[in-house]
Amino acid sequence: MVKAVKGTILKCDPAVKQVILSMNNSEREPFIIEDLDETHLFVDTAHVERIKRRVEQLLEENTYKIEQLDPKQ
Amino acid sequence: MPAKEIVHFKTNIYEYLEALPKATQERLYRESATCLAIFRLLPSLAKHFVNALLFVEDPFLKKDLEQWIKPKGASKFEESWEKLSRLHILAEKEGYIIMNKTFRENYRNCLTGGGEHQSFGVPPSSKDKHRPENTIEYLDSYAKKQWESILHYMVGTRTKRPGRGVVNLLTESGLMAERHEGDEDPQITNKGFQFLLQDINTQVWAFLLQYLELAGKEKNPQSNYPSNKILKMDLVEVLNFYFLLGSLELGQDYSIDQLTPTQQQLIEDLAYYGLVYRRKKSSRRYYPTRLATTLTSGTMSFTKQHPGNIINPLAVKDMPTEQGFIILETNYKLYAYTNSQLQISVLNLFCELTGRYSNMVTGKLSRDSARKALMSGITANQIISYLTSHAHPQMKQKSPVLPLTVIDQIRLWEMERNRLQDTDAFLYTEFKSERDFNSILDHAYKLGIIIWANKAKRMFAVTEDGHPQIREFIKKRMKKNGPQAGGSSSKS
Repeated sequence: MVKAVKGTILKCDPAVKQVILSMNNSEREPFIIEDLDETHLFVDTAHVERIKRRVEQLLEENTYKIEQLDPKQ
Repeated sequence: MPAKEIVHFKTNIYEYLEALPKATQERLYRESATCLAIFRLLPSLAKHFVNALLFVEDPFLKKDLEQWIKPKGASKFEESWEKLSRLHILAEKEGYIIMNKTFRENYRNCLTGGGEHQSFGVPPSSKDKHRPENTIEYLDSYAKKQWESILHYMVGTRTKRPGRGVVNLLTESGLMAERHEGDEDPQITNKGFQFLLQDINTQVWAFLLQYLELAGKEKNPQSNYPSNKILKMDLVEVLNFYFLLGSLELGQDYSIDQLTPTQQQLIEDLAYYGLVYRRKKSSRRYYPTRLATTLTSGTMSFTKQHPGNIINPLAVKDMPTEQGFIILETNYKLYAYTNSQLQISVLNLFCELTGRYSNMVTGKLSRDSARKALMSGITANQIISYLTSHAHPQMKQKSPVLPLTVIDQIRLWEMERNRLQDTDAFLYTEFKSERDFNSILDHAYKLGIIIWANKAKRMFAVTEDGHPQIREFIKKRMKKNGPQAGGSSSKS
């Protein structure tokens, strides 16, 4: 029986994929429909914007910034 | 605005004219001023042909025309011919060349001074009592002030907000966009940044063409134009007026009485952009500024009425821009020898400016500042090309012009932002047999709608648009093979 599911494909590097996976596991309602391969995930479209924001935020937290050394106002 | 256009941000009046339907072109040729302006836009060889054939009444063989060309000039001939025929000025019929009748008549009138004379603007009968002193200097500074206020607004200098019409034009044309719902001012976009990099003549044309596009549109009830502004103007009248402006004389005043109602409405907006000057809205006369009079005599043509001033009318005041003024060091520090508020604002889009002196500003490229620019849609390549083209002569002696580390880092900052790509899709799973899977997958590949596929897992994903086609294909297959060959439930 062929099945077609609507959703969104996320293409990313393996590191980001792991971030998304851990996000998925820590949530009450998992949004990943199918784990396709190393660099692709199939997820619920409704969550895409939220995932993007969260990934952005996580990456931002993990960036080394030289400015932090300067006494900025 | 389709996304495609943002990439190829081309703003050539010529391309625009070419794309017009033949009937519209024909109507344009009814104005002598327009004929002259279009003539000026032609490549020089094409001009030569038009002039040579203009007064030849007898049929002229295209073969004879080809005889004029040396063999190595054949490609130039083809190019000129192509342009003339796309504009429907010349056409070939049974080997003979036919010149567009309307064009011939009106262009002749324009050269010989025959026909009606209104085409080139009519000076008012009375003298202007309020004529500004040092008219030309006054007009130049007026034009510069108006035009730069638009550019300033685009780069986000919080000076004066231009009129509603200008803001609307900027957002509708995609040069600026509202980043967040309810923002007071829109922000510059990728396309807008590209716009800033052009020379002023191109900018003015780009702006006028955008205006044209909006003006020609049906009135959209949802659009928030003030009710009597920009709605369904006649393209031909607007274009005719643009071309008329290009043939007017700087410093001379003209009467608006001969203009059509559309054009009188248009002139109000053009006064905002600094193309024409009017003392007040009810004034019956207008002065074209240098922005307007150089419209058709820009870089594309060699007519020299005001030598030295043509290419960039405001160039005198922008001298450092022409020379390049930016020094960028390998430690991401940037020194810009300019005191132009506009250039500083442009730099401020992607730089952290730290100090300002009387003739220079210092700043630093940082991840945050670059990301700010990238987020508003400016690309890394645009930043790099801006820095390269405005590099200080001392930097330009080096090769490469900009320090590689910085260029690479800007590109990396851009890539970092695109770590996640999303595409809406339909995922097909649970195929019964390998054969089924392969034939459907092959079909999908042929349609070019596959985003991802994995044979081992027997899964593939197609684009949203491709989904109905695949669904149909599977249904047909099922019917052909009989229901027992494998049912399909295609749920979305």
